Amino acid sequence: MNINRLCWINIIRNPSNTILSLLLMAFGVGIISLLLLLNKSVEEKLQRNLNGIDMVIGAKGSPLQLILSSIYHIDNPTGNIFLEEVNKIKSNPMIESTIPLSFGDSYKGFRIVGTTHAYPKLFQVNFQAGKLWDKSMQVVVGSDVVKACQLKIGSTFYSSHGLIEGGEIHNKYAFKVVGIIDKSNTIIDQLILTNPESISKVHDRKKHSDHTHEGLEGGCSVDHNEMITSMLVKFRSPIGLIKFPRQVNETTNLQAAVPAFEINRLISLLGLGLRSINMIGFFIILVSGLSIFISLYNSLKKRRYELALMRVYGASRFQLVKLVFQEGMLVSILGLFLGLLFSRSILFIVSFFISKNYSFYSVQFSLIKDELCLFPIALSIGLIASLIPIIKAYRINIPKTLSNV
Amino acid sequence: MLKTEALSFSYDGSHIFTFPDILLQQGEDLLILGDSGVGKTTLIQILSGLLRPQSGFVEMNGTRFQNLSSKSLDQFRGSHIGMVFQQSHFVRNLSILDNLLLSLYLSNKLQDKKKAIHLLQEIGLSDKLNNMPDELSQGEQQRAAIATALIKAPDLILADEPTSSLDDNNCQKIITLLKEQASLTNAKLIIITHDQRLKDQFNTSIEL
Repeated sequence: MNINRLCWINIIRNPSNTILSLLLMAFGVGIISLLLLLNKSVEEKLQRNLNGIDMVIGAKGSPLQLILSSIYHIDNPTGNIFLEEVNKIKSNPMIESTIPLSFGDSYKGFRIVGTTHAYPKLFQVNFQAGKLWDKSMQVVVGSDVVKACQLKIGSTFYSSHGLIEGGEIHNKYAFKVVGIIDKSNTIIDQLILTNPESISKVHDRKKHSDHTHEGLEGGCSVDHNEMITSMLVKFRSPIGLIKFPRQVNETTNLQAAVPAFEINRLISLLGLGLRSINMIGFFIILVSGLSIFISLYNSLKKRRYELALMRVYGASRFQLVKLVFQEGMLVSILGLFLGLLFSRSILFIVSFFISKNYSFYSVQFSLIKDELCLFPIALSIGLIASLIPIIKAYRINIPKTLSNV
Repeated sequence: MLKTEALSFSYDGSHIFTFPDILLQQGEDLLILGDSGVGKTTLIQILSGLLRPQSGFVEMNGTRFQNLSSKSLDQFRGSHIGMVFQQSHFVRNLSILDNLLLSLYLSNKLQDKKKAIHLLQEIGLSDKLNNMPDELSQGEQQRAAIATALIKAPDLILADEPTSSLDDNNCQKIITLLKEQASLTNAKLIIITHDQRLKDQFNTSIEL
């Protein structure tokens, strides 16, 4: 028997006192930790896909939409642009390289993107099987597509019009899988890549039959020989970033958007929401502190005689203080770890259900740096909550307590 | 040896309790009788070092309480004095056996489980070792409380109204137990009470 053990026994023998404080602490910590984990995972994902892309050129419209559609493939494109017009810009000495993108068709909800070999190379992908396309109608598929559509080398399929499932099937020309890309944790995992000519080919055949359904979700053009959806640009030096986009936006019919800037804007917009949820989490931690305080204070009131008795047994003031202090801290620490566990379990469950399409939620079980701030917060709340009960225990008046039987 | 001289104490400054001198050798018993309000509880607290007297001194085994810091006095009390109260109290979340072990731990003595079990058997609680204090009857609780005081083999057993809330039968058992255990460890026994039933049981008694 010792103080540590007594403290532990006091906690587990009084579950009703402890459980509320514990759950509140776990819940508060869990919410903040969940947000931090999500935030980190989304930010990482966003940043990883930005690699090597300084600017995107596309049709006029919302710059954020252009970025979301051309880099993350999660929004509809702003429209199409004439290749001729883009080529004029391309020759600018500030530009190091460009990658054209044409899209508007999909297969089972996965986008088919017409581009050059430079696009997959940008993400430094490895091949699980096969190789890059060298003819029209050959495609290379990302790992998520392979998994969801059960494709393999040599499989063929028809594309459907539009970026969501259920569009008209282009059944004149079939695509053939020639390469499968390893999981790269980039957007490539969810794309079907081919050359721009294949996209044109599929649509050229269709040219006469129907022009009408190229509404919002469409964005594929009448003549792909002359038009593309957007172009990714890499500059020779960061100076390009400052001057070039403005130049394009002011002097041409095209729109230039800087992903780094747009994404920062997006994150700061999201950040506002995150901050308020963070505040709620912190508030719950505070309430848990209050609950720890109340339960310690109440149990101390009931145990006044018990503490006095321990003094009579020979306990020092310090030992009583230690007992009360440890009870408060143990609940905080248990709550803290329970909260960290809680956030990870939630993420695990969430990722299990939505990993098919947007694998933004790759679960991280190790602690992340931002979470370290939760330790001092939880511990100091525990400390502050135990402070008054500690002082009470320290000052306990043995004769008075003992004679007030 | 326990020795007190010219002890007095006052809570409010106007009413002063004065107490007769006590001299007690190892192994001797003393009954202190007094009605309510004559300062029985005050005296027991002074004797145990929980209260410091306004004048006079308490000396035990050559140590004067007034020369000890409150921390050393706590330790001294822990290892040399066992106390029994009118209402038996325990650490409620611990079993009877664990209460005994805690008493040993807090008085810095070896936590001898066998010895604790043996003592509980001796006082007739062998089947209550792992029961919680609340599960015992009042008579059993009082015996268990005496066990927590005796387990550390104190030099002095101070009992404050140990029998007042007990019936005749239990009262007799408790007094016999206290006397037996005191003589077994050669401890001094002081019982302070208003319970007149105890008058004939002790050779030496003082009226307050």
